[in-house]
Amino acid sequence: MDTIILLPAIILLIIGCFGILNSKSLINSLFSLDVIDTATISIFVLIAATSGSQTPILSSAQRYADYSDPYPQAIILTAIVIGFATQALLCTIALRLSRSTPLLRYEDLEK
Amino acid sequence: MIDSPIFFAGMTYLPATLGFMGCIKPKIVFPIAILTILGIAGFSLSAILSGFETSYKLMWVGGIEFTFDQYTFPLLLGASLSLLIVLSIYRDQLSHYFYQICLVLLTALTVSFSAQDLISIYISLELTGFCAFILIADRNDNKSLFHSFQYLIGGGLAMLIYLIGVVQAFQFSGSFLISDLSTTTTTALCLIVAGLLTKAGIFICGLWVPNIYSHANRQSAAILSGCVTCAGVAPIARLSEGMEPIGNSMVVIGVLSAIIAALYAVFERDDGRALGWSSVSQLGLAILSPSYACIYAMQHGICKTLLFTTLSSPRENNTSNGKEQTSPTNVPEWLLVTIFVIGCLSIMGLPLTAGFVTKTWLKGDIPLEARLITSTSTLLTATVYARLIWSRVTKYKKNISRFIKNQANKKEITFGIEAVILSISGLLVVIFGLSYTGAYYYENIQNSLTAIVLASFLYTSVSGLQTETFVRPVTRTLDLVGAPFVVAALLLANLFYFKI
Repeated sequence: MDTIILLPAIILLIIGCFGILNSKSLINSLFSLDVIDTATISIFVLIAATSGSQTPILSSAQRYADYSDPYPQAIILTAIVIGFATQALLCTIALRLSRSTPLLRYEDLEK
Repeated sequence: MIDSPIFFAGMTYLPATLGFMGCIKPKIVFPIAILTILGIAGFSLSAILSGFETSYKLMWVGGIEFTFDQYTFPLLLGASLSLLIVLSIYRDQLSHYFYQICLVLLTALTVSFSAQDLISIYISLELTGFCAFILIADRNDNKSLFHSFQYLIGGGLAMLIYLIGVVQAFQFSGSFLISDLSTTTTTALCLIVAGLLTKAGIFICGLWVPNIYSHANRQSAAILSGCVTCAGVAPIARLSEGMEPIGNSMVVIGVLSAIIAALYAVFERDDGRALGWSSVSQLGLAILSPSYACIYAMQHGICKTLLFTTLSSPRENNTSNGKEQTSPTNVPEWLLVTIFVIGCLSIMGLPLTAGFVTKTWLKGDIPLEARLITSTSTLLTATVYARLIWSRVTKYKKNISRFIKNQANKKEITFGIEAVILSISGLLVVIFGLSYTGAYYYENIQNSLTAIVLASFLYTSVSGLQTETFVRPVTRTLDLVGAPFVVAALLLANLFYFKI
């Protein structure tokens, strides 16, 4: 049962890997990297939610019995930020390179 | 020895703090930063000599655990020494952003050398990657920007592969500690190791190394080879020390890396690329033995930093890659050549240098079958460096004759502080080679001398080959990005079926 929940994220991961290995221009591989990033984050969140999907907040009111594990979720927040920073840096480089090679194709840039 | 958590936390985070403060007052912070790096180097040296080990928890109870032990200190010494050499030699030619990035890099490296859990390693490796990216893009032409793009996209993908491995490990063991990894599945281990190998630049994940070393500035290349690639070595050494299957797979990968990358280096004619391939080969040798990996990587890092700083001569306008390469001023050229030769000889493993001692330690710790391969790799490496020494010395002679011809319109080069620093670091390499007398027995000396003499003959036989037709540089992005997948698959196959 647990693995079936992960299936959409794994399919997303495979799509991203296919995209990054078959991309012809910088922009394509940039998007593919973002897709893989999203898939990784989804896997993290889904695995954290296997014990239950209720909010893990302590309060004086009624305590939930099956709350999700907060530890991986807190950690994946860092990975989201790092992924965003990577995307920003890659976009900057693509912007700079597009001045000389507007199509940003690998075959032009790898010469 | 000081054993307070506050001291170690301060030592870890002080460089980054200074780096960010340098944005406000760059002139004042620079000497403080140099002193800090010097202090870290001195502390690591004394800790290595006294065998000091400690561990502390950030935020005390329930916090993140860091361990400073004999994996951390050699790499820390190597990283701080190479930063010191580069920062002090190029201090007139650098913008202040360069040293700030170097300081942030030092903090990221310290975290990755001392971290005990996988998430801290992930964050520090990503930070190292960003700093390395900025150092590569520092040259600011199209070629280096494109290569920094390749590096960032390859490194980002490798770290995502690593994260998937980490979450799988968490699913089985319920914690992120390295020591709890032994209970997880093999798939998780493969993904984690593939990510780490890419960051350490070990064949075949390390295909980015030669491209980047030849297209970055000399000072950036020196820092990349001296510090950045070491960031992945410490976690790999910790993993393979703790787990038998990982250690055995590392022998296979290390041997492959040592031989194939050295072969590429022999047939490479561009100096920067040849140094890059040789770096891949040397780090492959380093991961063979978990206990001596760090000290071998330290020796290699310092020597590579010296080689990159002295590679081009001050009077030569090296415009082959489109832009002029900077080289240290205020240093007489005979000194540059001497230091270059000492660095080369140390990596070749000549007696009386640091490389000889570390190679002896390494050889004593690995399986007998791997030792044979190590000798082959030593032979190939010596061939590469024979060519490098030969071309550097001929370049020097040509320069001297040209210099004598138009001596009138050249100004005299003074003997500045850069020259003193270079000579001290060259001396350190020799002193380290003399410090361990147990390595000097007849067979060992004979072994290394034979390899070097044979290599010079081998060099004369391969020097005439027209290698451009059958060895092409690997520059396609697909190759660089796909390599981590291939290695993860290979490791998986190894752990499941071959059980080597």
